[in-house]
Amino acid sequence: MQKDKTADSTSLLSKNVRIEGEIQGPENLHVEGYIKGAIVLSGDIFIGNTGILEADVEAKNIVIQGEVAGNVKAHQQLEIHPTGKLIGDCSAASIDIKEGAVFEGRSNMIKSPEASAGHSPAQTSITAAQNQKQQQPK
Amino acid sequence: MPLFGKKKKENQSERRQTASSQNETSYFGKNLMIKGRVSGNGNIIILGALNGEFDLRGRVKIAQPAKIKGEVKADVISVNGSVQGSLAAKERIHLDQTARIEGQIITPRLSISEGASFDGEITMSDRSSKLSRPDAADSAPAPQNTTAPTKK
Repeated sequence: MQKDKTADSTSLLSKNVRIEGEIQGPENLHVEGYIKGAIVLSGDIFIGNTGILEADVEAKNIVIQGEVAGNVKAHQQLEIHPTGKLIGDCSAASIDIKEGAVFEGRSNMIKSPEASAGHSPAQTSITAAQNQKQQQPK
Repeated sequence: MPLFGKKKKENQSERRQTASSQNETSYFGKNLMIKGRVSGNGNIIILGALNGEFDLRGRVKIAQPAKIKGEVKADVISVNGSVQGSLAAKERIHLDQTARIEGQIITPRLSISEGASFDGEITMSDRSSKLSRPDAADSAPAPQNTTAPTKK
């Protein structure tokens, strides 16, 4: 897949529509409907007020205003708004839980977002610097 | 405190109203891959891939890069992309120039633009459209119930 491509478009699942199954791709997703299954995106996911997920979610940034039951993994940031509800474990590089939000589960911090995101420019520049250092003593 | 609570509720309902008015049409972008079943009320535009089933009360537009494998049921279906499987519409189906269909079409009204490709079978009779829509059969048993008490 074209996993390293940044997501350029945002898909929308509206209020009265439900998906049962798997969703994946380099895309942003805004959910106001219902999804049961699994979601793996290299873009961002925004779960709106009326959005309900019964799914494991993996995305770059995750914003929860609705309800999520399942395990959640954000390569960058997880944000739970006051109306948001997360029942399940989360792992994220950074978490932001607002007052009034509901979170039941375990939280696990990812140390560096670059390490989980794969080939990032930051990582390649570090390895390039290391190569230079190794060459310098010679 | 009560004032604050009220204000908060108003904000929420306002937000919900704007959300519902904006979000009547779902949009699945070209990079999105869906495996499974999509159902409910509303319109959908799909540019990505679906492996599975659409079952909707509303319009489905299968736009140009979209690839569907499976079954599509809706009120109105218009196709620009490619479909392998069956299309069943309650009202009508339109195949545009770039449409590529392999499979079965069930609809009371059909239009196909020049340039579209269609390999398969079309059914346009009332009988089959009733079969594809279970809600048409739901109305049938109702008169039987009303006649039963009048006999007594």
